[in-house]
Amino acid sequence: MIDVQRTDFATVVTQDTERAIQFYGETLGLPRNPNSADEWPEFETGNLTLAVCHWAQLGREEFQWEQLGREEFTPSISPIALRVPDVEKARRRLEEAGVQFRGETFDSGVCHLAVFHDPDGNRLILHHRYAPHEDGTKP
Amino acid sequence: MIDAQRVDFIAVPVQDRERAAKFYEETLGLPRNPNSTETWIEFETGNVTLALVDPPSAGQAFVPLPSGSIVIRVPDVETAKARLQEAGVALIAETWDSGVCNGASFVDSEGNGFAVHHRYAPYSDGTTP
Repeated sequence: MIDVQRTDFATVVTQDTERAIQFYGETLGLPRNPNSADEWPEFETGNLTLAVCHWAQLGREEFQWEQLGREEFTPSISPIALRVPDVEKARRRLEEAGVQFRGETFDSGVCHLAVFHDPDGNRLILHHRYAPHEDGTKP
Repeated sequence: MIDAQRVDFIAVPVQDRERAAKFYEETLGLPRNPNSTETWIEFETGNVTLALVDPPSAGQAFVPLPSGSIVIRVPDVETAKARLQEAGVALIAETWDSGVCNGASFVDSEGNGFAVHHRYAPYSDGTTP
């Protein structure tokens, strides 16, 4: 047991930091953390910071990419799910901006999900839970 | 612009759902979301939900999250690091110090990279985490 207090950030790995800054800042419209430097840009989603990290930086001591058996950039196939008020509306806006989606929007029975990719191929989800939880609370 | 309101969850790929659930619940001590089901298990970190996903069940190959993907805040990195090592969790890098924060990188039971992290310095505007 460790005393986990929160998630400070999730790392988004990129091959092109400038392109990622444009995507997360302009295409998705996430506010940039004003305390973040250009070599470590951070974007805020309301509850979680997304830190953009160039994959070459993962070779640094603290990340040791090779120990995880990777020698080349591999995009993440495990998505970060962004809550939006309306999945179809958000999807249309992103498609107009040229963003590639993976398949049709999915209805799980409690939520809508649409899987898309950032310019590096990392998967993200547009997500909206429309059903209350079992205990009656709503997201 | 898509009016993003928050991150609802981060998907954590697993190879063995039960083993991973034990790791997140017992080794990290995260509370399990009571609304979880047998096939959709969620853990809470305070500000964001971690959802275990099983790529092979969706016909996809398992690919672990790269190192440092999920960075969790702890009050003291050395204490957390010692506890994780006692529990047999694989340390992949010694404690680093960036000048404003320190941290240590590990992999979970499935091979996903995560780190324990503590920012000790205030931000440039004087606020502290």
